[in-house]
Amino acid sequence: MNDADNDADATDRMLLQRMSAGDRVALGVLYRGYHGRLCRFLSRLTRRPDVIEEVINDCFWIAWQKAGNFHGDSRVSTWLMGIAYRCGLKALRQHGDEPVEDDNLPEQRSADHDQDEDRELRDWLGKGLDRLSVDQRAVIELVYGVGHSLDEVAVITQCPVGTVKARLFHARVKLRNVLPALAGEPSKQKENVP
Amino acid sequence: MTFPLDSGRDCVRAWDLMPWALQDSAPQEQVQWLQDHLVHCASCRAEYAQQHRLRQAVSLPSDIPLDANIGLGRLLGRLDTPDARDWRGRARSGNWLTRALVAAVLIQAIGIGVLGAKLGSSGGVPLYRTFSQEPAPVAAGTIRVVPDAAMTLADWNALLHRLQLQVVGGPNDVGAYTVAPNGPASTTQQALQQLRATRGIRLAEPVYSAP
Repeated sequence: MNDADNDADATDRMLLQRMSAGDRVALGVLYRGYHGRLCRFLSRLTRRPDVIEEVINDCFWIAWQKAGNFHGDSRVSTWLMGIAYRCGLKALRQHGDEPVEDDNLPEQRSADHDQDEDRELRDWLGKGLDRLSVDQRAVIELVYGVGHSLDEVAVITQCPVGTVKARLFHARVKLRNVLPALAGEPSKQKENVP
Repeated sequence: MTFPLDSGRDCVRAWDLMPWALQDSAPQEQVQWLQDHLVHCASCRAEYAQQHRLRQAVSLPSDIPLDANIGLGRLLGRLDTPDARDWRGRARSGNWLTRALVAAVLIQAIGIGVLGAKLGSSGGVPLYRTFSQEPAPVAAGTIRVVPDAAMTLADWNALLHRLQLQVVGGPNDVGAYTVAPNGPASTTQQALQQLRATRGIRLAEPVYSAP
């Protein structure tokens, strides 16, 4: 954890402390600060915007109730991500098999806002992540996207570090085998896996 | 787990290091080692390039069209619902309530313990008697005697000694003593007759244990 991370965590702790005293302004600051990364993290679990917003609000609703119980055993970001992950899995169990409504599809926004290069990169990643399990997609996002360590991912997902390591390994192997082909390169699946 | 690269231990080490080097969380000497390895290992170089692209792709902002302000507005509205306020109240008072209940149970337990110990130390003999209880047993042959107030202590003692009696109770509120024979030579009936015949004895009556 570098100095910037330490500073950000100190700020987050102060916001939590204020939230525990009922300060809604602090809740708003924390909400806006984490909205983007939670949105992206949860988009690895589901593509439904309504479910993602519901999970984010569930996460902050719990954070609001439990802010006074945060003892600082981990970074605030790790704590919040853990809550979001559990809420996300719960939402998947409840809504996982429901069809996505047409007006909730995110295609319009991405077409309007993305540069061509970003859109290509996003499509490439999306097709690769489609081959992974929910747990593998989550660990890829937490390590490569958010920048968490193996220990922190273990805390977030509430499983042993060895399990996280195995999920990361298998996710990387799968991506390594499919991503070059998706980018127009020959697959290395046969030649490199013993 | 089966390692996907063909190369040796250096490539395994490089594979393990890549995510953390990309995160800038690996120690500088390990990053330097990885850079040196990539210079002469084409397979790891390709892998690292792909990992770098993966990190770039994963780091792109979410493509899900969600407005933070709208979501926050809904959350704040949810916090104002009675259920949410009740829940927060319960969450805040939960510890206090639990502690108060535990304290009450402890105080009760201590009180019961002290009371039990006090009753135990009194030998189990209560300081009162209920009407349903059997009256205290009275030794056979006891006599209730009321001596005259003018009778001296020496005369009283001499009388008891002569009749082989001993005081087992009294005097009560009216000055009555309970006496019992202290030797086989004396019978209750004889003692009763002699007591009644003695000057200075106002009353001598046998005590019956049952009415």
